[in-house]
Amino acid sequence: MRYLVVGVALLTAVAAAPARAQLNLVGEWTGRYHEDQGDRVPGDVQGDFTGVPLNDAARKYAEAFDVTRVAVLEHQCQPYNVAHIYRGPIQFRIWEEKDPATQEIIAYRQFSGTYMQWRTIWMDGRAHPPAYVPHTHMGFSTGEWHGDILTVNTTHIKKEFYRRSGIPSSDLTTLVEHYIRHGNLLSHVMIITDPVYLSEPYVLSQEFVLMERGNQNWLYNCTYVMEVPMDKNDVPYYLPGRNPFIEDSAKQFGLPFEAVFGGAPTLYPEYQPALERLMTR
Amino acid sequence: MRIRWLLIAPAAALTVLAGAAAAHHSFTATYFEDRTTEIEGKLLQFMFRNPHSFVHVEAPDENGQLHRWAVEWGGAGQLAGQGVTNQTLRVGDVVSITRNPGRDPSDHRIRMQYLRRNSDGFEWGRNPGETFN
Repeated sequence: MRYLVVGVALLTAVAAAPARAQLNLVGEWTGRYHEDQGDRVPGDVQGDFTGVPLNDAARKYAEAFDVTRVAVLEHQCQPYNVAHIYRGPIQFRIWEEKDPATQEIIAYRQFSGTYMQWRTIWMDGRAHPPAYVPHTHMGFSTGEWHGDILTVNTTHIKKEFYRRSGIPSSDLTTLVEHYIRHGNLLSHVMIITDPVYLSEPYVLSQEFVLMERGNQNWLYNCTYVMEVPMDKNDVPYYLPGRNPFIEDSAKQFGLPFEAVFGGAPTLYPEYQPALERLMTR
Repeated sequence: MRIRWLLIAPAAALTVLAGAAAAHHSFTATYFEDRTTEIEGKLLQFMFRNPHSFVHVEAPDENGQLHRWAVEWGGAGQLAGQGVTNQTLRVGDVVSITRNPGRDPSDHRIRMQYLRRNSDGFEWGRNPGETFN
């Protein structure tokens, strides 16, 4: 009798399990900022290029970048793109779009409170559009489950920045994401490829937590104003070699500027002997 | 026990901050966050908005020269959660502001740390949660 009860219970559980999606991602998620807090919330110190495989083109851009450029009217309400938006203060909602006949998931939808961005991750196997299709800040995304990990590929992303201190991203950026849920926590891994500004893939991870009570503050009514009294046609910049803040981060943390600005080689443990040589120079 | 609370408090604060998301430029890159000074003057304009609100104040610098200071404050959504509305401040209010100075002094751009309106004692920046990102 006991085996019969257990058997029926097991059969019921199997029948109730979803056919494809392994884990439920639906809900409202907000950031946990213990990791890379400085970069993600207040923003990093000027000249902090550590951890980014930036190439020479990115270095030139970063050298010329004045952080007050975001105060220019045209840039004040410019959203972060999909390869950057999860790195700032953010909460986002995920829900499912299901085929009414089969109840299979056609797409995951996302809405983020920061800049009120909408995003669709197509799960129905459709192809990405041709390269000439217009780019958006959230790009075009397709996803598939690998075990309990949702992997998302995104193309057609508008150019923006990887960091607010002036590390640029190009419109050839592509993004691979992994969504990995552990209870009420969501690990989000990003692998960014950019042939214009990165010499190799840029890998980042961040954690989000399910908001059990939700959040009522989802609106982002950005308006253009003269934030700072200035000529509205002025675009702040620095000529090559004239950026007075480019070494601020290196000085603050006592690091050689070559190491901070060194790109991909500085990301690996093999760089440590070179760093030690520079530190003792 | 005291140490445990010290660890929990910043973590809780970060979670609360995250609830009302704002984003724009890097504060650390724009302001000297380790320095504070004070100005007192007449409010010229209050722009209650996202990504960040701005208050323009006419006030003298250390040398007594009058400037129009652009004081950066929280985003409308975040300040609304702290009881600040677009009616909280009025043109002509005389206010005292403690602030982080901008890295480029010629911008006269500063970041709000504390505000007090002299006429009625209205304050922002001293109570728990009165902060912005």
